[in-house]
Amino acid sequence: MSDLLLRLEGLEVVYHRVITAVQGVSLDVPQGGIVALLGTNGAGKTTTLRAISGFIGLDDARVTEGAIHYRGERIENLAPHRITARGIALVPERSKVFENLTIAENLEAVVTRRGANRRQLVDSIYALFPALARLRAREAGYLSGGERQMLAIGSALACAPDLLLVDELSQGLAPVVVEELMDQILRVRVELGTTVLLVEQNAHIALEVADYGYVMENGRIVLDGTPERLRAHADIQEFYLGAGGGQRRRSYREVKQYRRSRRWYG
Amino acid sequence: MQLAVNIAVLASIYALISCGYVLIYRVSRVLSLAHGELMMLGAYGLYATASLFSGQPLVAVAAALALSLLVGVLVYVALMWRMTGESVLAAVLATIALGILLRGAMILMFGTQTRHPLEELGWTNASIEVGDDARISGVGLALVLATTVCYGLLFAFLRMTRWGIRMRAAGQNPLLAAQRGIGLHVIYALAWGLATLTGGLAGMLIASDAGLESTMVVIGLKAFPAALVGGLDSLAGALLGSLVIATAEVLMVYYVDPLLSDVVPFFILLAMLVVRPWGFFGSREELDRV
Repeated sequence: MSDLLLRLEGLEVVYHRVITAVQGVSLDVPQGGIVALLGTNGAGKTTTLRAISGFIGLDDARVTEGAIHYRGERIENLAPHRITARGIALVPERSKVFENLTIAENLEAVVTRRGANRRQLVDSIYALFPALARLRAREAGYLSGGERQMLAIGSALACAPDLLLVDELSQGLAPVVVEELMDQILRVRVELGTTVLLVEQNAHIALEVADYGYVMENGRIVLDGTPERLRAHADIQEFYLGAGGGQRRRSYREVKQYRRSRRWYG
Repeated sequence: MQLAVNIAVLASIYALISCGYVLIYRVSRVLSLAHGELMMLGAYGLYATASLFSGQPLVAVAAALALSLLVGVLVYVALMWRMTGESVLAAVLATIALGILLRGAMILMFGTQTRHPLEELGWTNASIEVGDDARISGVGLALVLATTVCYGLLFAFLRMTRWGIRMRAAGQNPLLAAQRGIGLHVIYALAWGLATLTGGLAGMLIASDAGLESTMVVIGLKAFPAALVGGLDSLAGALLGSLVIATAEVLMVYYVDPLLSDVVPFFILLAMLVVRPWGFFGSREELDRV
């Protein structure tokens, strides 16, 4: 097993001091890997990512238990800009670009990690996404969904991260665009050597590029394994890949029940 | 002609003050209602440094400006920092409390008598002829120039420099800005510093023209409609709003009644709030203001 870049240990996140969104989540992200975190709406995936990238005062959320180790150091509850300075950058699900700033300004606003060559980095981002180079004087608010996602990934990469966190890359985008973006993610790993943690509802897409996957539900991790193993798993097939196997598709509630009983019995 | 000159000077006063409201609102969504007091503090700062560095007026002015910048940063570090994460209303109330506190402290320290920082500096306020039939005071001219230079520098700073772009970014989306490595506290402190610097400069110039006493706060309050009419999150708006308010005020004072001076800005503000609450250039969504 290669070196661990990120390790979550029994993470618990509480919003507004009372609402527990994530409970006892543990996962490992090896250096140079692409790890997928799967789950339905409200499973706690986004909260987990936000906990890693840091909350700000406006969020009123805290890591109350467990630990986030990054390169062997604990980073939970650090301010987001300090976490970015250590080399973790997030592509958020919503409001991921500065809408009233042009593409060039979006990249200019980013604080690049000390020691990284900013100009070289921006050039490589433009090389990775030629569309961004072409539209660099355009305001981000006028971009299409796909271009916006490219800019979001690009401006996260401009921080010179070692670990890229991507929240719902495929959300609201056409399949062709998603495929293209996933190819860029693979290129990012090869060309920039960046490790990636992908959060996705669309298991099909995520398992295509990931080396390892975790499945979250109700704020906990319920399943993990290699893409092959996860794809073969009955629950995943039923739910996330939509393959009913010819039989009547079980309702969400039934599958939930099934999973719950399985959790208790073995 | 004289009317045009008067309008230009008054518009410059309002514009120089209101850019502070805009800067702070734009980055942190907080309306600083202590701005008038901070402006007056800048003027008293000049009075103090003028007697401290007597004989070296330029040093005194530079020291007073530096002091204003420092005060702004300090207000953020000591008070407003703790307001992040609280509701905007709490932050606005804190600025009101700060304003009342500052006003009281200044009256305690400097008394209520009128001071003349310009005399203290050893300068005189010459009257300059403009064209055939109009005159402008030296300080009035300095006001127009200072406002032009300040706005020019602010626009260039926000458009061209990396820190200016970061300031705009933080104002639009603080969470994303933090995630992109931008230290929000540094940005907010910078905004408070710049706002207090420009406000303080306005205070110094007004005090040099008309004398310095504690009623000066009213002018700071009258610049507030200018910022709102223009749209609170737009510098260009503040400029236009100042022009509109100043024009209306000067014309009303000249043709109707001098007593209307304090009423006109707020009357225009109310009219604007009814017709177009987001101002000339403000963004429409930004209506959760207090």
